[in-house]
Order: sequence, then structure tokens, then C-alpha cells
Amino acid sequence: MKPASTSGVLERNRSRWGWAFTAPGLVFFGLFSFYPILNAIWTSFFNKKLLSLRPPKFIGFQNYARVLGSEDFWNSVRATAVFTTGVFVPLFTLSLLLAVFIASRKRFRRLFQMALYSPAVLSSVVAALIWLLLLDPRGLANQFVNLVAGTPGVDRRWLSDGTMVQVSTMIVYVWKYVGYFTILFITGIGKIPESVYEAAVIDGAGPVQRFFRITLPLLRPTTVLVSVMILIQCLKTFSTQYLFTQAGAPVGPVNVITLNIYNTAMRDLNLGRASVMSTLLFLFMLGLTWVQLRFSRRDEVEL
Amino acid sequence: MTSRLGALRPGEILGSAAALAFLAAACLLVLVPLVFMAGASFMPALDILKMPYRWIPQTWKPANYLRALAGNDGNWMYLRNILNSLIVSSSIAVSTVFLSSLVGYGLAKFRFKGSQVVFLLIMATMMIPFETVMIPLYMITVKLGLQDSYAGLIVPFLMNAFGVFLMRQYLITFPGEILDAARIDGCSEPRIFREIVFRNAGPAAATLAVLSFRQQWDNLLWPLLVAQREEMKTIPAYIVKFAAEKHADEGAMMAVAVIASLPVFALFFGLSKYFLGGSAVYSAGKE
Repeated sequence: MKPASTSGVLERNRSRWGWAFTAPGLVFFGLFSFYPILNAIWTSFFNKKLLSLRPPKFIGFQNYARVLGSEDFWNSVRATAVFTTGVFVPLFTLSLLLAVFIASRKRFRRLFQMALYSPAVLSSVVAALIWLLLLDPRGLANQFVNLVAGTPGVDRRWLSDGTMVQVSTMIVYVWKYVGYFTILFITGIGKIPESVYEAAVIDGAGPVQRFFRITLPLLRPTTVLVSVMILIQCLKTFSTQYLFTQAGAPVGPVNVITLNIYNTAMRDLNLGRASVMSTLLFLFMLGLTWVQLRFSRRDEVEL
Repeated sequence: MTSRLGALRPGEILGSAAALAFLAAACLLVLVPLVFMAGASFMPALDILKMPYRWIPQTWKPANYLRALAGNDGNWMYLRNILNSLIVSSSIAVSTVFLSSLVGYGLAKFRFKGSQVVFLLIMATMMIPFETVMIPLYMITVKLGLQDSYAGLIVPFLMNAFGVFLMRQYLITFPGEILDAARIDGCSEPRIFREIVFRNAGPAAATLAVLSFRQQWDNLLWPLLVAQREEMKTIPAYIVKFAAEKHADEGAMMAVAVIASLPVFALFFGLSKYFLGGSAVYSAGKE
């Protein structure tokens, strides 16, 4: 038996080392996460301009009033919401469907997964660049659609028409991430006990019934995770819109919130207003994460 | 997986065939743009935007790759930018693995007053997306005079909360007896970490390294803010500039894309068993 005092010293020693090991993390996240977010909130109350020599002045909620009263901001909210919805529905449905199909295959599962996942490996900018050429008026997208629809020689104006350019950004995104979310779903399906399916087959349940009565309900932890991940990813979308607009596509229709923050800060040099948008985006995503946490907790309890 | 389909009825066989057709079609459609990229990178611009498109190059033009590397104005800036991307992405991969294991180890194996709070604080930063803090971070960088420097490109990403979480979860299962035995032998805590813990963090560390590398390889937003000078740009920013130039050659564009994708494809196919296995994938798309 050790005397109590020795173990007390050991205890104190251990605790000191615990702090020593975690200190780099505390310093880092303090400097590069907590300070900046507080700074963004703080700056949103000042008329701060990049490159301006005048000291920033406190203007209360004026930035918020200006941003919330500007058509430009609401257009960005619209663009982001349209993009998110337009990506969410096909991305979720397709990846779930593909996952169910792949999970029910005996052979070539790995091959299918690899093929579907491969675009996710690419950089977002590379993905957008490939599609920039595919969506060219003379490109493959027009040729393919015209072949399927039997309308030779029609230009769908993928990158020049306001509505079409939004569709184009959604296509790029769904294409890039469908394999990634398929694999998440496959992992989720793999966790469903085989015996449940066996029992269902004995009871005479067909594949459609098995999907709606077993797979879908038991997959709920994964569906919640995937939903929130798609939402959060879509809210942060930037690269595709940036490349397309730099290459000449109209900005308005695809001026998503991140693109707007970037342009407000770097082109208009208005840090105050950019910070307002950052703060609003942060609060919105905080809400989303909260929802995610609540749901995932409940699932843990249920299972 | 046999029982998942069970005994097949005629209707199910038909359904299964339809499912297979759907799967095959989806895979083909997904692969088309990649095949296009590879093929077009060897074609003259005129052939790329020709109707109807021919998948196999009629005239081969490997000079596209030369043009891609030399750039539209022939200053070979792409080479420099590739080097920048390699430097930035690998430094971040190394530091993320090292620092995350350090902090993760501290949180996994040391119970001290406030350790729970520290853990929660670090996890809370996952709720602060980079996009919302990039402007203040940019201002800090300017204030410190770190624009157009490797430090400016690297420092904000030295580690991340996901990495800490991953390493903590991994190291929490590390047998404490080994650590205690080393302590009794008089091994100092830093040495225990270096010689025993870090050396045995293999699989988790490798996953984290690849994910961090890929994530930075893809990073456009931050280099766009911080690197104004051409020499300090990274690949994504170079690609945007290259593609937006009026006289950009489509073949060279695809060559640029292929070059940018080679390292990440090599990593992915080399380590595909980790990526398709499950857990690692959960974060691959995190930006």
C-alpha cells in the first residue's frame, strides 16, 4: 500500500500533464475559433472597412438593418435556399436508393462503391471545371439531353440562363457527393441486423415492404446524420458558384451566402456588413447543429 | 448478403434486374465526366467542343500538359502553385496528426479537473464553420503581416476539432497498463507520448492525415483571401484563374484538372479500404 501523500502527488502530477497535453488545443481553438467568432459578432456592430484608415465607428444595429433591408442579402438567402433544396431532394433520394441496391448485391459491391465515390475525391474546383466544359453550348450536356429528348440542336443555356445556371450548380454538387452519401447509407444499412430481414422474408414481405417497414425506420440515425450533413454542406457551398461566375455565368441567380460574404468583404471591402452575414449564417448553422444533437441523442436512447 | 434478398420470386428477379440496370447506369453516368476529363486532356480544343463528341482522341495532343504547366502566359506558375499546395497540404496533414494526437491523448488518458469542460469546448468549435470566421481570421492575418506567406496559409488549419475527437476515441482504448509500466520504469510523460502512444496511433493517424491533406488540397476560399500574389496561390485558385482567362485552351484546362487530381486519386486508390470501410468516410466531405 502506498501512503496517501504519494498518490496525492501522483494525482497532481497527472493532472498537470493532462493540462500540458491539452493546452495546445485550448490555445489554438481559442485563437482560431472562439476569438474570430466573437470578433465577427463584435465587428458586425461597427462600420468597419477594409483598407480604411479611419477608426471603425460603433453603429449599433445599423449594419443589420442595412443587410436585412437589402435585396441583395435576401437574394442570397433565396439562392442558398433554392440550391439547398435543389440538392437535398435528389442527393438524399439517389444515394439512399443506390445504397439499398448496392447493399442487396452479392457481387461487385466494391466496384460500384468505388465508381460512385470517385468524384468525391476530386477537388470542388476541378469538379466545377469539368462541368464548365460539359455545360458549354457545344458541350456534352446539350448533346446528351438533345439525344434523350429528341430535340437536335437546342441549346439549354446551362451557364447563361438564370434558372439553368442554378440547375447546373445543383447537378455538379449531386454528381460530386452522391457516392459519398451512398457509402454513409451503406454503412448504416450494414448495421441493421440480418435477422430482422430474415424474419420479414419468412413473413412474406416483399422488397418494397422490407424497404419501407424495416430499412427506412431502422436507418433513422443515418438518415438524420446524412440530412444534416447535406444541409450544412449546401449552406457552405462556394467553389462551384465562384468558378462559374468567374467564367462568365450571371452572379445574381447563384449568389449564395458564402459568395456574397466573400464579395462583400473582398470586393466591396465592407467588413461590417460581411460580418453581419457571417453572424447570421453562424446562428443558423448553430440551430441546425442543435437539432442534429437533439435527434442523435434521442436515437441513442431508443436503440 | 444472400438472405437480404431471400428466396426470389419471379417479380423480385425482375426487380433485381432493374435494380442492377439502374446501378450500372448510375455508375456509368457518374464516371462519364471523369472519362471526359481524361480524354479531353489529350485533345485539341476544337475536338473537345465538337458535335458529336468523340470519346477517343482523334488527334493526340499531349502538348496540353505542357501548356497546363507553363500557363497561358508561359511563366510556369502552375508548377510553383502545385509546390505550394503540396507544402501547405502536407504541413497541415502532419501538424493536424501530431497536435490532434497530443490533445486527444491528454483528453483520453488524463482525468483532471476541467478535462470534461476542455473536451466540450473543443467539440463546440465544430459548430463554428470556417466560412463564418474567415473574415476575422483574414483581418488577424493582415494584422500579423502574414498575407502571401506559408504561415498565413497553414496556421489557421494546424489542427481541428474533428481530428482531436478522432484521436481521442482511438487512444481511449489504448491499454493504460502499458503507460503505467513505462511510468514505473521512469519514462517521462513526453517520452511516453512520443515513443509509445504516437508510434501506436497508426490507423487513426493515417486516416486523419489523408483526410486533412485532401481537405486542404481542395481549399479555395482561404488561399483566395490570403494569397494575393501569384507565387503564393495554391492549385484551386490557380485553376479558377486559368479557366477564367479569355484565351484559355479547353484541352489545357482538362490537363490542369488531371494534374490537380492525380495526387488525391493516388491517395484514394492506395487507401481505398479505409475509405470504403465506413468510419473514415464520415468526415471525408467535411470542409
